[in-house]
This record gives sequence, structure tokens and C-alpha cells, in this order.
Amino acid sequence: MHEMPALVRPVLKRLGRCLALGLFLDIWPAWAIASLLVSGTVALVCRMFFPSASPVLPWLWLAPILTAIPVLVVCVRRAYRPAEVAALADSLGGGQGILLTLLETNDPAWAESALIDKAAQFALPRFELRRVIGTLVPAIAFLAVALMLPQRVRSEDRSPAVAQQIAADLTAAVVELKQQELITPAEEKKLEEEIERIRRGAEQKVDASSWEAADALREQVVAALSEKQEAVKWAQESLARYAAAAEAGGGEASASAQAAELTKALEKLAKSGLMAGAPADLRALLKGGALPTDPAALRALATALGNHLAEANGRFGKLAGLGEGFGRFDPAEFPVEGASGPDGDGLPGRGGVNRGRADAELAWGKESALFDKFKSKPLPPGAPRSPDDWAPVVALPGAPQEAAVLSSQSAARQYAAAAGQSAWRRSLAPRHQSAVKKYFETTVKR
Amino acid sequence: MTQDARTLLTPDRVSAGQAKIARVVSDLRRVIVGKEQVIDEVVTALLAQGHVLLEGLPGLGKTELVKALSRLLSLEVRRIQFTPDLLPTDVTGSHILQEREGRREFVFHAGPIFTNLLLADEINRASPKTQSALLEAMQERRVTTFGETRPLPAPFFVLATQNPIELEGTYPLPEAQLDRFMFKVDIAGVERSVLEEILLTRVHGEPPPLTPVLSASELNELFGLVDAVHLPRGVANYIARLVAASHPGSSDAPESVKTFVKYGASPRAAISIGVASRSLALLGGKPNVGFDEVRRVAAPAMAHRLVLDYAARLEGWDGRRVVAALLEAVPEVERGLPRTLEAR
Repeated sequence: MHEMPALVRPVLKRLGRCLALGLFLDIWPAWAIASLLVSGTVALVCRMFFPSASPVLPWLWLAPILTAIPVLVVCVRRAYRPAEVAALADSLGGGQGILLTLLETNDPAWAESALIDKAAQFALPRFELRRVIGTLVPAIAFLAVALMLPQRVRSEDRSPAVAQQIAADLTAAVVELKQQELITPAEEKKLEEEIERIRRGAEQKVDASSWEAADALREQVVAALSEKQEAVKWAQESLARYAAAAEAGGGEASASAQAAELTKALEKLAKSGLMAGAPADLRALLKGGALPTDPAALRALATALGNHLAEANGRFGKLAGLGEGFGRFDPAEFPVEGASGPDGDGLPGRGGVNRGRADAELAWGKESALFDKFKSKPLPPGAPRSPDDWAPVVALPGAPQEAAVLSSQSAARQYAAAAGQSAWRRSLAPRHQSAVKKYFETTVKR
Repeated sequence: MTQDARTLLTPDRVSAGQAKIARVVSDLRRVIVGKEQVIDEVVTALLAQGHVLLEGLPGLGKTELVKALSRLLSLEVRRIQFTPDLLPTDVTGSHILQEREGRREFVFHAGPIFTNLLLADEINRASPKTQSALLEAMQERRVTTFGETRPLPAPFFVLATQNPIELEGTYPLPEAQLDRFMFKVDIAGVERSVLEEILLTRVHGEPPPLTPVLSASELNELFGLVDAVHLPRGVANYIARLVAASHPGSSDAPESVKTFVKYGASPRAAISIGVASRSLALLGGKPNVGFDEVRRVAAPAMAHRLVLDYAARLEGWDGRRVVAALLEAVPEVERGLPRTLEAR
């Protein structure tokens, strides 16, 4: 190319660059489309099966850019040779062939000729990029859609985390109970074993049964707590009755009965482990299950026991929210049946926001109460219509006055007989009449 | 990059040659009015030392063109009116028994073919046997009779004419004969303005007087110049691809060729295109052949060499239309522009 006349050298260089770029744009889109499709497929696979690859997926946008490197290598290998550039320049410039000739002969005699001037004035080809863009857009869209898809998390991958979460919630509840000294070590151990069992089950497969097992355990804990709270209340009430009986001095029998009840209540309290945290003097007083008879000692016992029970009751109050969030039905959230409130009375079909519990028995009696006032009334017996029942509304002048000659019943009979005979004659053929007569005669004889 | 050691014709030599040809062309245009393309093609073929088959209706100036050419080039011209009873010896000449100095011997009497410019008028009226008498003369520029081969005078051109409409009693030229014509030039009718010009300038239709503008040596010099015109490899590649694509079995053949062409152009067609392109380039004042010259000579050089199928006749396709389709289908440069580039 350096041997070409100076007049055409720049334009040949421009054409060479143009051809090189055109060659690149010829080859690269196919590579870019392939890389985009492959990247999109990779992104889809990662979105479905490899969640850990999610952070690096945006780097797939670099794939079409990286394909430019091998494409450049291919372009260099397939680059237009100077003879081809000159031939194309000749073709674009009207097909004079002078550039090809000068390239081959390197004869300077024609370097300044008008032919060279004319050959140097060809218009460079223009780029047609719409086709390139048109082919790239679907592939780009494919990759974009693949990257925008949400990451799919497989259930087996999610199981350990969910199992840990379920177990952690339950363990937190147990720890809370332990801190409040509301469970015994045996109960704690049993709960921990149960929590571990739920955790292992959830690790293998997370489904509704995992949550239901966790909820069941919570309900079990809450039920045990309720039972303990009832024991505390019973002990408080028994203590109050025993103290009242002791002060009143009502009798030996009454005091012993109240003492037996209090003893039973305290035994139940001890069984539930709530006496473990009781003060030492209280435990000493109750040692052996014998209640003091001395009024002073009794008052001291009542005070100490009352304080202990109040403290225990307070701890229950702190755990009031333990049963919340089960995702199950909580009766406390619903008003008692029959109690009117701003949200209704809890009865179904009575209006208001609260239509009552979902498991309430369906009763339709009230809705149908209004029908009770209707009494059955027999209708009057019917009677055949008679011409006598007719009464003239108006008598037109000149109309004939006809008097009734037959009673209503005789007229009806006569009409019926006539109607039957005519029907008899009309409906039955003569050959059939004899058969019918014979039948009825036989019936009468029988 | 390989460099051809050849040097180009100098601009002076090209200009001088172009000027001489221009004089011939100019005088021919004075004689044959309104037939610039025909004149260019005939002169191109003559400079390429090729034979021309002129096809056209009577009265369009075919014979006048040949006569004018002979006068301008100061060449010996002879005319043979081909008829069905014309014999080969009437063309080539024959041995006649003559008595010389008391002895009888066969003396060769040269036929009309021994001339510089032979006008074979209505060549398709002669029998194939007579037509074939021209084969050797046209290709090898010599005549063999009775075992003796005699060279024809140089230069030797055959300008044959044929009438395309009077087909009764004619013998279509065989492909071998057609192949020896470098160009087949179709002479179409004249326009109204040309007729007016002819009527105003010629009373009895006689042409204007002509004087020779080229001597035999100058003509030979022009032949040398034509041969010296450079044919770039890229253009030669274009010619080769063009001729190869005229064969229906070629992978580059366009659909029209595959449908309508029975046999494609011969290598002689490629040679004819090459040399005719050289001639046309010199006519245009160029030291080299370009794609443009190839495109211009392709139709007259190839159209009559294509053997068309019957389907072509039914569909109204002739040789020139097939060549036009070929030129449309075959790119000038084998490795064209990238698909993302579009020529303006």
C-alpha cells in the first residue's frame, strides 16, 4: 500500500479501516449472540440450581465483550489484503481498475493522472448497523430476563436454616421458662429432647408438619404452665381458706379439712417444681407436710407462702406472651359468648365485626323465630260453581229475562250425565262398547 | 504482495493510440448515424483482432459499416453473398487445371477469403458445409486446400451479417462457428431523429466520402498497444468467475443460468472478453483494464456463446438477458464488502 500514489493512499487507508471494522461487525455479532445465549443459559441454570453463584452472575454481561478478543484474532487472520482493498476501491470508484494496476505494476507514470484523481474520489461505504442491532437485541433481552429471574432456593438447602430457626424459637422459650424457674430440670430435659427431635425432622424435610410440631410443643408448654398457674391459684385460695378457718376457730374438723386441702395444694405445687425456689424457712416450715397450728407461725407461714405464691404468679405474668404467635386459634382473643361489646357479641349471624368463633356450633333457631306466629288455618271446602251463583251486573234495556228453572245440583248432574254419555258414545267404538260392558257386568257379578 | 514487473503503457502512447482510434470512430459515426454503441463494439472487436457477427434487419447499415471501415483502414475488402448453393471452394478458392508452357498443372486460384476484411453477407443462408469452410480461416487465419495450407493476409477480419427474421431457407450457425466470432452485435432500428438526420444529409443515401485514417503499420501498432494494456489479476479473476458462472453446473451460477442455459461459455469467451476489454480500455484512453470494460464487453462477447434451453425461448430469455443476470449476480470483487457495509 505504501507504493501507491500519495493521492490515493489516505483514502485507501480509510477504506482499509472501514473494511476492518466492517469485518469485525460481521463476525462479532454471531459470537456475541452465542455468548449472550450461553450466558443466559448459564444464568438460568445458576438461578435454578446454584444459588451461591448468584452474586457473580452480573459479570456475565462481560461475555460479549470478552468475545471481542478471539474475534479480533479472527479478523486479523481474515484481514483484507492490499490487493483486495484496491480492488474494492476500484469497484466502488466506477470499476476503472487503475488502483489494482498501480498496485501490481508500481508504475509512477500514471501517479498524477486524471484517472488517479477520479479513482481517489469514491465514496466510502456506509455502515448498516440496524441488522447488527436487530440480531443482538433478542439475545441481550434473553440474558437480561435470565438475570432478572428470582433465585430459586431448593427446599433441602432451606431446611437446615429453617430447622435451626424453629429450634431456636423453642429453645428461647425453654430458656425463658428456666430463667423464671417455672420448669423442673426433668421437664427441661424432656423439652430439649423434643426440640431436638423437631429440629432433626425439619432438617430432613420442611413442611407444615414441622411447624405443627413446634406449635404443638408450645401448646404443651403453655398447658403445663396453665396447670402450674392453676396450682398456684389453688394454693393461694387454699391458704386463704386455711388462714380464715384458723383465725375463725370454727372447729377442729373444719381446720383439718382446710389443712388437708392446703397440704394437697402444696404437694401439687411441690410436684410442679414451684417450691424449688421457695425460701428456706418456708421449706422448713412445710417439711414433712405438717402445717403449724400456732397462730403466729401460721401467720408467718401464710405470709411467706403468700409472698412466694405472689412471686410465682408474677413470673407467670411475665410469660403471658409465650403462647402468642402460634398461628393457631387463641380463645383469649375472642369475647365470651353472650358478652356484648363493640365488636359484636360473638354469636354467629348477629352482626358486628366479630361473628364468633369459627368452630362455634351453628344454630339457626333465632333466625327462624319469626315464623312461629304463623298458625295453620284450613281452607274452606270447595263447591262446584253453579249458574245460580252468577248475578247480573247490569241489565241492558231490551235484554230477555230468563228465570232459573233448575237447581244447581240437578243441573250439574244432568250435565254430567249428558257429558258422560256423549263421551261414552264418542270415545268408544261400538265393537269396544260390548267388551267394556262385559267387563263391568263380570265385576258386578263377582 | 507480489509485484508485476511489467510497466504500463506511457500516457503519451495511450493518448496517441486513443487519438488514432478516435479518428476511425469519428468517421464511422459520420457514416453510420445513431449507432454509437454498434460502432464502438465493432471497432473494439477489430482492435482485438476478433471477428464480428452483425445481426439486424436489412437496411440498417451493416454492409455500409463494413465498407466504411475498409476505406478508413485502407484494407482490402471482399464481399461474399452467402447463398444456399455456395460451395466451400467458392470461399476458400480451388485448384484449377491450367496449361502452362505445354504442361498441364493444377494452379491454385485464391478465393475471396484471401483478403483483409471479409464481409460474409447473410452467412446463415449458406449450407453448414460452406459455413464450416470459414472455421479454420477464422480461428487460425489460414486455409488448407488439397493438403496445402496457405496463410491469410494480416490483418484478417470476418464481419458476417445475418437476418434474424427470414429464417426460411437458412442454416443457423453451429455453436463452433458462433464461438469463433468475438462479438455478436445486435443492430437495432433507428430513432426518428436519426432518420431525420439521414434524410437531411443524404439525398440518395450515399455515405459521405471517406479517406483512410490508418495505415496497415499504424493498425499493427494499435494491435501492439492493445496487447500491452495491463489486465490486473483482480479483473482477470472477475472475467474467470463470470465465464465459470455461465455454466449451469457451477455453484456460482445464478438461478436464471441454472434454469435457461444448457451449455455455458467456452474458455474462448474468457479470452475474447479479456482482449476485448483491453481494446475497449485503449479506446477509453486507459493503460489498464477495469471492471467497467469487462461489464461492457461481456454481453456481446458471451451472449451468442451460451446455448440456451428451450425453456428460455418459452420464457422470452435470450443470451443478452442471461448475461445481464450474470453481471448482476457475480460480484466484481470476489471478496466483496462485509455485510455490515453498504456501497453508496
